[in-house]
Amino acid sequence: MQRDVGSLPLSPALRARLLSAGFQTAQELLETGPCGLSKEIGISKEEALEALQVVRQECGCDAAKTAGGSGTARKCTALELLEEEQAQGFIITFCSALDNILGGGVQLTKITEICGAPGVGKTQLCMQLAVDVQIPECFGGVAGEAVFIDTEGSFMVDRVADIAAACVQHCQLIAEAHQEEDHLKALETFSLESILSHIYYFRCRDYIELLAQVYLLPDFISEHSKVRLVVIDGIAFPFRHDFEDLSLRTRLLNGLAQQLIIIANDHKSAVVLTNQMTTRFGQSQSMLVPALGESWGHAATVRVIFHWDNTQRLATLYKSPSQKESTIPYNITVSISFGMEIFHLVRSSNCEIMNWSYSCSVSIEVVSQDFTYILQPQGFRDVQPPPLTQNAEGTEMNPRKRPRREEEK
Amino acid sequence: MVVLRAGLCPGLTEEMIQVLRANNIRTVVDFVSSDLEDVAQSCSLSYKALVAVRRVLLAQFSAFPTNGADLYEELKSSTAILPTGSPSLDQLLDTGLYTGEVTELAGAPGSGKTQVCLSIAASVSLGLRQHVFFLDSTGGFTASRLYQILQARVEDKEEQLEAMQRVQVVRVFDVYEMLRALHEVRDCLSQQVESSTGPLKAVLIDSVSAVLSPLLGGRQSEGVAIMMQLARELKALAKEFSVAVVVTNQVTKDSSTGALKSALGRSWSFVPNTRVLLQGRASPWEDSTVPRTACLAKSPRQPTGMQVQLDIGSDDVQEQRPVTPTP
Repeated sequence: MQRDVGSLPLSPALRARLLSAGFQTAQELLETGPCGLSKEIGISKEEALEALQVVRQECGCDAAKTAGGSGTARKCTALELLEEEQAQGFIITFCSALDNILGGGVQLTKITEICGAPGVGKTQLCMQLAVDVQIPECFGGVAGEAVFIDTEGSFMVDRVADIAAACVQHCQLIAEAHQEEDHLKALETFSLESILSHIYYFRCRDYIELLAQVYLLPDFISEHSKVRLVVIDGIAFPFRHDFEDLSLRTRLLNGLAQQLIIIANDHKSAVVLTNQMTTRFGQSQSMLVPALGESWGHAATVRVIFHWDNTQRLATLYKSPSQKESTIPYNITVSISFGMEIFHLVRSSNCEIMNWSYSCSVSIEVVSQDFTYILQPQGFRDVQPPPLTQNAEGTEMNPRKRPRREEEK
Repeated sequence: MVVLRAGLCPGLTEEMIQVLRANNIRTVVDFVSSDLEDVAQSCSLSYKALVAVRRVLLAQFSAFPTNGADLYEELKSSTAILPTGSPSLDQLLDTGLYTGEVTELAGAPGSGKTQVCLSIAASVSLGLRQHVFFLDSTGGFTASRLYQILQARVEDKEEQLEAMQRVQVVRVFDVYEMLRALHEVRDCLSQQVESSTGPLKAVLIDSVSAVLSPLLGGRQSEGVAIMMQLARELKALAKEFSVAVVVTNQVTKDSSTGALKSALGRSWSFVPNTRVLLQGRASPWEDSTVPRTACLAKSPRQPTGMQVQLDIGSDDVQEQRPVTPTP
């Protein structure tokens, strides 16, 4: 109740007036009452009433929280948080190397940013995640839904359908192998149609639409309470042009980041962003760095950078509060054989080198919490090796270039 | 800016206040700064009474003088120095975090700010058995990481869990919520109601820039006001309850020299007593074995520019090599 007037969420003009009229604490405001207040500082009674409601809300919340109610800012001990963290699952990426460096997959309640040059597989990973988030719990998934916000128009629904079909097929294989009741039961509802119908797609064409969509998202998620993943594919794209005032851009981006953290935290969902790369000119050399500037780097809790080393794709965990930063180069070799793959994990001094022998039908061992199983994620039954554009999760093939086959599921 | 009220000081009566109000003198500041002769004339009040009231008010609202010896005694009894969990960082900070001060950790993304915060939380709650208040505004607080750090320091599971319980976390995502949370802490501390909360020695805020920067930039002035409000709140919290306050901040490039400096502008730069710049790799392409360094940018005790190396390893934030002070 002794809260400073200056710390209340009132409009700056009103706050200035209150301060100059000599009000210091919220208590004084409440005691004065709306009529007195309107007289004292010369505002209308409605405005005064509104201001007092804000004040009362602030202080009322205090009272509710000390009584053990749930306010917006919940106070808890680290132990409780630890239990919460251990209980919540991960969204697996279907690439065990990537899952490993992320500590099990894409984390719920955190913002993960994927940066990379064009064509390195950012959108592919996003689409993969939008499918993977829906894997039923008995298969080690989180049984959620996905919101996909697309700024660049790179979402390809046919590609998602491919991934989804592969995912369903993979789960079917697990169910067949284990013959467990809950698996079979979960599969009844887990189908291509259900996956596609639980991806909510928004196309935002400029930054105003994007901002509006993000600020409206909490309402949408409240209605669709199963949403566990929010993807913004191409966060940088709308912000990289049309801005003359760069400090305004920084301000908008910072606000956006905070809004996304609120979504991630309040709805226990993962937020995945993709960002472009840009060239920074140094004194001696220039280098590729994630776009949107230095301050945006703080927005994401986890930052992964996808890049090329000649023909090899590398994923670097650049920032994470819980995992050691590391680079995984993966050798993706494409073999025509069909079946189980050998999977080497070579630990060198600082980075893990993954050697995959890779086939058109890939099987990757995925470790998700304490649940180990063999995945058969992709349904490409092509006999020829696909064009050498495999990406991290090993799923990328440009469907527009690939000849479609009848026998494909 | 206190409103003039009857009973505020002897000699200030209700009638007098009414008359003064009619002449647009509402607050103590208005009263003290006005020309009393004019007031006496226009309000037809006794000049002598007004002068008397002014003298009392000035005495009442001015700072109370204390002498250095008393301050020193108080300092000795109230100040504690908290270990950060990293010997090299302790050395940089002159044996550790001082209570009653605001320490800032500034650094680029991925330079280890959150890790240092977690390390401080671990060492204060485990080593000193004191409570820690962690305000997380970026979602970076990861309990499993804290647990990992604790596990690296002590083997007893019971102790680890107790230490976890002494760390209180509040997630706040805008500046008003942060102010409210800080205010609640202050309330708790001043009332000493809940014995369960125990003595609080460290308040960690990760990060202030995350909540403040959406309000700054463009041509906005309200952000600065609220920033100073937060600064005042932090300083008061640190001083009044002898708590060590640690805040993390982003860095920006100095436009003229290209050197890194902490963000939030000049007016914030005066707020922390001590500022440490953390530096990691300059770009994602550099070798990740390059150790992180911590550089003292502002300190009331130590020479600035001192640099130490930090190793944020898989289990702990540790010292790596001996200190290499640079002038």
